[in-house]
Amino acid sequence: MSKLNDRVFGLVMLVVAVAYFYGATQFPVPFGGSEAVGPETFPKILGVVLAICSLYMIVKPDPDNHWPALRTFAELCIAVVVLIVYALLLEPLGFILATTLAVGTLCWRMGAKPLKAYLTGLISGAVVFVLFTYGLELPLPLGLLELN
Amino acid sequence: METLHYLSLGFGVALQPENLMFALMGCFIGTLIGALPGLGPANGVAILIPLAFTLGLKPETALIMLTAVYAGAMYGGRISSILLNIPGDEPAMMTCLDGYPMARKGKAAEALAISAIASFMGSLIATVGLILLAPMLARFALTFGPAEYFALFVLAFATLGGITGKNPMKTLMAAAIGLIIATVGIDLSTGTQRYTFGVLELYEGIDFIIAIVGLFAVSELLFFIEEKAGKGREMIKINPLKLNWRDIASIFPTTLRGGVLGFIAGVLPGAGASLGSFITYTLEKKILGKKGYFGEGDPRGVAAPEAGNNGASSGALVPMLTLGVPGSGTTAVLLAMLVSLNITPGPMMFTQNADLVWGVIAALLVGNFMLLLLNIPLVGVFVKILSVPPMYLLPIVTMVAFVGIYSISHSTFDLYFMIAFGVAGYILRKLEIPLVPVILGLLLGPEMEKNLRHAMQISDGDWSILWSSGLSIGLWLVAILGLLLPVIVGPILRKRMQAAKTQIGD
Repeated sequence: MSKLNDRVFGLVMLVVAVAYFYGATQFPVPFGGSEAVGPETFPKILGVVLAICSLYMIVKPDPDNHWPALRTFAELCIAVVVLIVYALLLEPLGFILATTLAVGTLCWRMGAKPLKAYLTGLISGAVVFVLFTYGLELPLPLGLLELN
Repeated sequence: METLHYLSLGFGVALQPENLMFALMGCFIGTLIGALPGLGPANGVAILIPLAFTLGLKPETALIMLTAVYAGAMYGGRISSILLNIPGDEPAMMTCLDGYPMARKGKAAEALAISAIASFMGSLIATVGLILLAPMLARFALTFGPAEYFALFVLAFATLGGITGKNPMKTLMAAAIGLIIATVGIDLSTGTQRYTFGVLELYEGIDFIIAIVGLFAVSELLFFIEEKAGKGREMIKINPLKLNWRDIASIFPTTLRGGVLGFIAGVLPGAGASLGSFITYTLEKKILGKKGYFGEGDPRGVAAPEAGNNGASSGALVPMLTLGVPGSGTTAVLLAMLVSLNITPGPMMFTQNADLVWGVIAALLVGNFMLLLLNIPLVGVFVKILSVPPMYLLPIVTMVAFVGIYSISHSTFDLYFMIAFGVAGYILRKLEIPLVPVILGLLLGPEMEKNLRHAMQISDGDWSILWSSGLSIGLWLVAILGLLLPVIVGPILRKRMQAAKTQIGD
């Protein structure tokens, strides 16, 4: 079994640890002179701990977990993109429309029939909107549906 | 005597109509969260925190609700164990062993009822234990100085992986990652900007609630997509309940032992609910030996782990409330709630926020009765919701998480952060790096640094103060043990638990 995952991650974290430690040495000396424990002391300790753990992972890696096949991986990417677009469109489109799109697409990609999926999105979005705006008095953006 | 006085004060808080209502709501939501596979208690509580916030609940009400959710989730975990043979959360794994065979024999209703009663007993015993032990521990913890606290935090991280944890170095790494994220922002005591890269949103640091919700909720969605588990599994139908007092009496000794053992496992660092239910089940099998038919649907095999894991979950509140150091994922999330309500967790809470602490403890007792009532007659409602396939459920849960985070600050920046944490959580879980230490690091980072600072100020820069008192040396020793034990004992215990797991597959 391959043990590459842990090695790669260990290497990445080692770089992070070094950069983080270096970052800590660059803090300006606080007003009033340096103390026994300045703003840089704790980060320096953490940098060392992280570096040791990373080295351990590189030297003694665990066997890899299997990663998803290409198609599943694509589905995962779609899901993340849907979430990002959801955040992006939440204000311009409004909560109900954005939720219909986001929840609908997610349900559909997870195996629901498209019509049922988007209906789930619409209903859940509308219910949460009403609940928040009128029940809890926490207005969510209405976006396009807003009547001037 | 003093304890009784405080407890009656606590009941005064817990029995206020508003708090009662939120406790009931919490119990209901909690049972649901526990029952749904893939929506663990830590995850569920995390999603509810921002909502409790935006509702503007009083601290005690918010904490009562979330503690009720926590207790409810432990009840709910058994439902999917019994009906679907999938544990709703990790500690409920052992309940599958006898619960599912019982259900297959057409005794699903009995299995559900017995497990509810066992949960109730386990919880009750452990809550009484909590009432007796917590004030004593809090008084003792008042003698801790900053050096002891620093050592205690190290201990918490070292033991968090648990004795059954696979690779203690990965636990440590996870803790370091969490602590590192916690240092981002303006340093509280000097005002120095650390790792903000001039980004305004980072000045106040990274909100741990966003991190928690992202790490748990979003990564869970990704895992479900990967496993293509959207359709759900076939469920066993429930038969009409036939249970008499003799059946209940026959599991009584089992629940007593289970509750006590579970409580101890919950209080001890590094043990936790999963180990609690495992130990109680194994012990029960040993004690009853040939008199039982464990693994083939013995009611006592259902009662033991349920009493154990509910006992452990109440036990886990002891270190969280008295020391401010949680021993499990969900108690860490509850601690996050306290911190964000501006309440400093720790022994002082028992004197400064007595009404809050005792209110929550009393609410645990009240909630336990509510849960028993909810879980026996209303079990059908939960079963119905459980039959909604995850492909509809998880997107909606994710949406609720989005709404919660968005309603805290009305900033979409936070949402991007949450998604990023979700992706990071997915990668970490793939690499078998546990998420709970990351969260604990995020939470305890500032406090840990503060204590280090105080200790060094007292000693005028002499590092040896950190291990100068007997108490702190003891804490360091336990911490080292916590890292070494998994390497020595871990493989044996894991093998046994694995053997139990494969039994489920049959």
